Amino acid sequence: MTQPAVADVLVIGSGASGAAVSWRLAGLGASVICLEQGDWVDRERLPKNHVDWEVRGRRFWAANPNVRRWPADYPVGSEGENPVDIYMYNAVGGSTIGFAGNYWRMAPSDFKVHTLDGVAADWPLTYDELAPYYTINERVIGVAGLANDPCGPPRDPLPVPPAPIGRPGELLADAYEKLGWYWWPTEQSITTAAYNGRPACDNRGWCTFGCPQKSLSTVDVTYWPPALEKGVELRTGARVREVLLDATGKAVGALYYDGDGAVREARAKVVVVAGGGLGTPRLLLMSASASHPDGLANSSGLVGKNLMTHVQSFAVGKFDEAVDGWQGTWGGTVSTRQFYETDPSRDYVRGFIISGCRGWSPLNLALQVAPWGSGHHDALDERINHEIVMYLCGEDLPEEANRVELDWEHQDRFGLPGVRTHYALGDNSRRLGTDMIAHGHQVLDAAGASSVRDFGLSPIWGWHLLGTARMGTDPRTSVVDGSNQAHDVPNLFVVDGSSMPTSAAVNPTHTIQAVALRAADKIWEKRRDWTA
Amino acid sequence: MAYDRKQGGHSVAQANRPDYRLEIGRAEVPVGEPRGFSVLDAQRATTLRAWVTTLIPARGDRPDAADVGAAEYVDATVFLVPALRPALIQAIDRLERSANDQRHKAFSECSAEDREGLLREFEAVDASDAFNMVRDFTYEAYYGHSRVLAALEKETSWSSASPTRGSAMKPFDASRLERVSKLPPRWRKA
Repeated sequence: MTQPAVADVLVIGSGASGAAVSWRLAGLGASVICLEQGDWVDRERLPKNHVDWEVRGRRFWAANPNVRRWPADYPVGSEGENPVDIYMYNAVGGSTIGFAGNYWRMAPSDFKVHTLDGVAADWPLTYDELAPYYTINERVIGVAGLANDPCGPPRDPLPVPPAPIGRPGELLADAYEKLGWYWWPTEQSITTAAYNGRPACDNRGWCTFGCPQKSLSTVDVTYWPPALEKGVELRTGARVREVLLDATGKAVGALYYDGDGAVREARAKVVVVAGGGLGTPRLLLMSASASHPDGLANSSGLVGKNLMTHVQSFAVGKFDEAVDGWQGTWGGTVSTRQFYETDPSRDYVRGFIISGCRGWSPLNLALQVAPWGSGHHDALDERINHEIVMYLCGEDLPEEANRVELDWEHQDRFGLPGVRTHYALGDNSRRLGTDMIAHGHQVLDAAGASSVRDFGLSPIWGWHLLGTARMGTDPRTSVVDGSNQAHDVPNLFVVDGSSMPTSAAVNPTHTIQAVALRAADKIWEKRRDWTA
Repeated sequence: MAYDRKQGGHSVAQANRPDYRLEIGRAEVPVGEPRGFSVLDAQRATTLRAWVTTLIPARGDRPDAADVGAAEYVDATVFLVPALRPALIQAIDRLERSANDQRHKAFSECSAEDREGLLREFEAVDASDAFNMVRDFTYEAYYGHSRVLAALEKETSWSSASPTRGSAMKPFDASRLERVSKLPPRWRKA
């Protein structure tokens, strides 16, 4: 569909948040253009269409853009005491195309970290304000799980049942029962039953290598088809160079390079930036001008600052019995939030989750534990199909020194700068991480593991990139307000994970999308202002 | 799911540091397709075959790495990424020199034990990263191959078919939640 010369809304980025905000606004009646620097993924090339899927996952499908180097990828440097191993995709669907689909709601306390625990910052909105948008997102996406986990507020039933937990889940559930801890089946954005025209998951596992049958709820198969039906114009291969302002300081659109590198312009009454934790600060900093010399919407100096990644690790238990860890949604067993809330008896604030997964795949495991040479097969055979992996994820507090900057020494194919991240684990994160790993060992010991190994805390797993254009009520200490509207530019919005002032201790995509849906309603509520 | 970091030895692939891993994202080499050598001459190809066989030897139903075309896979990768060719060729030549100096025969003619010893010596002093490159590519060629995966399934019960074809599982048994669902709420009101 061809949009009017000046659309109501220009969305930059087609990932988790860009797709949700585009769908919502188009449904409300807005004309929407979305610019995506990447392209649609050729689903035939999804690794799991092929026997050598693990190899394809290390090359064409590599999560690190420096390795993958698709045409839309830009260079990312990783500096600091604990460099971030960046995992992100630039394509229609953004990084959801390579995610595992663990879908958590944040807890009410996550929105009031400063008030409750005296650290970081409160969100300028509450759980109760966001809850209806979580529900909408769950229905669009088709989230699998069971309501009424006592570790969260009461809520509506989820659209589809939890994923089968298999033998790994049974062993972990037994361990939690033995320990007397809280646990619950992990919620996932996977259609475990036929839903909205998508088939039931058939337990292939290794979800991040692509789901050929579309049971994994990547936004290219969830939000985008109905968004396009509602009239959103999605322009792929559109690499945005800068957000444009008029003489009064209002955003009027963006300049972008098309697939051939020729400059184009898109105009709109409202501009929404949804480029992710690295892409959004990159664009805002690239959009520096005489009136915004330090970058657009950056009077606070916080664009690119407060990068959060989560405190993460994996604990891996070795079992005497075969655990069939090759079967089932990779993240879909059982999880505990026993240690989610701050406990004054511990030497850190905030908390963590422990989320059961399955086993490691052959190539992956061989690279980890099987030395080359005569002992190779013995080392692999000792562990393959005898390990259970648990994902450990803790809250990472914002720190200004953890940041994203432009890197003009390394540019993309059209001369736009790459970015450099600087990251070091803070003291609280270190203490939390150490305790989190110890509890991971405890669970696996209780499950009957004969030995347990873990991956430590560094390098940082960089698949949750948050906080680099954070929301808040004070323009001196935040970039956008509680409606995701830039303090400095009246009709500019940032709706992705960069707007999160704190990280909570759960996978963030569900929250990112709920915030984006809410922001869409806020934009629509003020639509008369944009034409004034 | 790029979870394949080596415990304790993982470094982050970056745009501003030399790293063979950065070069291979655009080098798509389907595993198991029949192919010959495009970069290596016959003599060096023979050395590389012996090299990859030493990295992953045969056992039981599992073939050795050369038998499933790992050497040709390494060659096909450096064919697509010319920048990696010098390191590979120099590494092969160095290995061959060591074999001749120490064992007075070609590397491929050395015993398995001698080949392993020579490779461990080379691994310890290799500053070019060529050893790691050949090892990683060999693992890829091996564990991406249908013959290896089928043998692995037979010998370890690890299903090689499930990731691409799926399999049936029992649904979650909600009665397992009987105790937990009766516990008091465990979240802070805010």
